[in-house]
Amino acid sequence: MDDLIKKFFLFLCILSLGSYAFGMTAKEDSLHTSTQKEAILFIDSIKHMPPSGAWPHVSSRLFLENLKLNIHYPLSFYPGRGTNFCAYGALSYLVIKDDPLGYAKFMITIYKEGSAVYNKIKFTPSSSVMSAAGTLRFKGVLDIRHAEQIWFLTLADHFKGYLNLLNLNYDLGDEDTFWASTNLSKFNRMVRKMCNYNTTSAGSDLLHPWISNPFQYLEKRLGKGILVLYINNRIIHKKNHDKIKFSIPTHFVVLENIARAGDKVTLTYWDYGGKTLLQITPSVLKKIIYGISFAQK
Amino acid sequence: MNDKLTFNVLLLSMILLSCTAKIVSRNYYQVNAAQLETIEKDYKQLYKEKPFSLAFTSKAFTTVQVEIITDTLTYIYDFDVDGRPILDTLQKYGLRQNKIYSLITKMKKIRCTWINSFDYYVNDKEQHLIFISIKPVLVRYPLSPPRYYIIAYFDRPQSFDKMGRLLDGKRVDRLRKLNGQVFKKITDRVCYTIAEKYR
Repeated sequence: MDDLIKKFFLFLCILSLGSYAFGMTAKEDSLHTSTQKEAILFIDSIKHMPPSGAWPHVSSRLFLENLKLNIHYPLSFYPGRGTNFCAYGALSYLVIKDDPLGYAKFMITIYKEGSAVYNKIKFTPSSSVMSAAGTLRFKGVLDIRHAEQIWFLTLADHFKGYLNLLNLNYDLGDEDTFWASTNLSKFNRMVRKMCNYNTTSAGSDLLHPWISNPFQYLEKRLGKGILVLYINNRIIHKKNHDKIKFSIPTHFVVLENIARAGDKVTLTYWDYGGKTLLQITPSVLKKIIYGISFAQK
Repeated sequence: MNDKLTFNVLLLSMILLSCTAKIVSRNYYQVNAAQLETIEKDYKQLYKEKPFSLAFTSKAFTTVQVEIITDTLTYIYDFDVDGRPILDTLQKYGLRQNKIYSLITKMKKIRCTWINSFDYYVNDKEQHLIFISIKPVLVRYPLSPPRYYIIAYFDRPQSFDKMGRLLDGKRVDRLRKLNGQVFKKITDRVCYTIAEKYR
């Protein structure tokens, strides 16, 4: 057993170091972008949705209401309290900014037919995921956001990384487990496949990026593209009083703003359907960041 | 000599175990019910005016993290409990500084580490429950994880199974987990769990 754990840890290290510091770049040669106005015209033209046989527990009314909310208020995506959907939340932020009409059409098709194509990727959710959508409870407002339940469960069912290897198939409650987890390279891969951005990345799942001044690094790129941070949220959002903590990244957030005054760095980031403002010291900033993904047109 | 030593070790173990069992059980609620009820009522009232949450992030209850929730932003600040900045900040965001400070004092007195309000949905209608976490004074075994006593206050009566475990409202055979924990009945609208994390 010990041997197995050692091998698994070595495997993690190799995977993690594989992308470390060198960054990963991908360039899409065809830009497929739509505007929010086009998406609003499309979604507002739909007045009623019949129930879908593919998603037995999804309410057609809640589905359509939720889809309209996503299109009209793109920052409303809420990955749910206690789930491991935060990476899919950050991905949604990028998708809805890049191609809201494509998102709306994809959701309508997958709702009606049970499978659909987005950016040349065919999504065919498993029957357990189709049965679970609409039944997630105690996840905050995600409980009544049936389009987002379909979206997040479908993404997590489709994209797999090494963190998902031990739990590849969905069982009830797996939205809170490793089944829904995302590591940095999986996140970058999802962005490259789902969105028409040029993406670069620094950092890894186990080691901090080789950046001497993270504040300057982030400030320099802010406004020129979308910055997603892979952070250890347990430092800023403590959950127990133990001083010794296993330091690993746990959360994806989209950086909206960063400013420095004296020894305080003020971060404004998006996650869980809203923006959060947080003040930390430069050393804590360095300590919490494990990965930075930068998506540019 | 050996018998005496064994007896003393056994006695000490029994005392330690009895302390642990006594503090981390539903007795905590019975002993502190009045203070907990006041904290819950005060918080509920203040939360209705402006949403916020409080968490003591230091072991010595000297640092409090305040989350102030507005329509556009959630602000997260860490303060020294006895410092002036906390009062200034609460005032800046239009919160009732004296009442919230009084709530912080009451929480500290009975070692409440966290208070927050969560939304949940019954028949698509929004409901709220309040979480209060307590860090009991107990002797921990070396390297054992910390233990927190978490109480959930619902607005309306809940369903429980024969073992007193909280059930999902819609499917009575399914346990309802809050923050990944199974909760046990104290009263029909109050339940508790013991967890390694306070939130």
